[in-house]
Amino acid sequence: MAKTKDLEARIFAVDTRFQKMARREGGVPRDIAIKRAQVEIEEVKPGFDQWLDSELQDFASLMKNAEIGSGKPDWIETAGFRSRQLRDSATMLGFELLAFIASSLCEILDSIEAGNECNWESLRCHIDALILARQRSYRHLKPDQVPELIKGLRRIAKRVTT
Amino acid sequence: MTSRNMNLSDLIILIADPSSYMSMLIHSMLRGFGAGKVLEVRNTNDVLQMLTTQQIDILICNARLPPHGGLSLTRAIRGKTNNEHRTMPILMMTSDSRELTIKRARDVGANMVIAKPISPTSLYDRLNWIAFNPRKFVDTVTYFGPDRRFKIEGYPNGMGRRKGDKAVEVAEASSPALA
Repeated sequence: MAKTKDLEARIFAVDTRFQKMARREGGVPRDIAIKRAQVEIEEVKPGFDQWLDSELQDFASLMKNAEIGSGKPDWIETAGFRSRQLRDSATMLGFELLAFIASSLCEILDSIEAGNECNWESLRCHIDALILARQRSYRHLKPDQVPELIKGLRRIAKRVTT
Repeated sequence: MTSRNMNLSDLIILIADPSSYMSMLIHSMLRGFGAGKVLEVRNTNDVLQMLTTQQIDILICNARLPPHGGLSLTRAIRGKTNNEHRTMPILMMTSDSRELTIKRARDVGANMVIAKPISPTSLYDRLNWIAFNPRKFVDTVTYFGPDRRFKIEGYPNGMGRRKGDKAVEVAEASSPALA
């Protein structure tokens, strides 16, 4: 009997303040809203340099501590979280090369978290590549404009994640 | 996808993300959409604190928000009775778009999941979907949140579990998926 009661569901309609207000007249058409959002993103882009420098510095330090055995037990989760942040923000801002390298790093960190052996050399390579790609002369490049670098990183990622 | 004009002025939106830069990017998109007031916090404790002192109209939350995680936070908000934010829309941001993660977000009561990296288009469409397609809420012993059957995929395992479930003809999904 108790089981039958457990399956009873109270289902009710909810019209939240968000929904009521968002449906009001005077809204912004989709195309215009998206265009305006893109303009707003362009305005915060200059702050990326400072954030990226600080992120890369923290990330390199996290890796160094982990490599010499003085990192926190959850360093791999922190590293995964930070690398995803790098990948996501670089993608959102259209820095394709940075996004590619960070994405490759994410793959390696995910495989370590899943139990694969930690290959420090592969991690160092990716950090070096990120530092290179953060430079202004590389920042706006697309992965296919630096084929040797990409080929090398792909080879490394494939070797350590399979 | 067709969408109707969305009016975000006079609404209070809370972004909960540990990264100040990521938060700023989301904030700038919302400003572009015409959002009235956008607040930011960096951890789950500050979200709960904010909800006790401020009316929040929608929460945009990172699934890995420290220290408890966005999923636990959502469960806590949905689980607390006599809480005026219990039915507040929650949009969960995640860098991990595996099916399991999306199901977990759905099962704790998130309205929608948005996969990072987030683009203005994907954010606008998710918000628009929440605004113009309100879902009923379901309250059971084990779940409180938006109805999880909104994709019309038929009953789980082909069998209705709720009292009152009847045979349904499964239609093609014609709306965006949860992720």
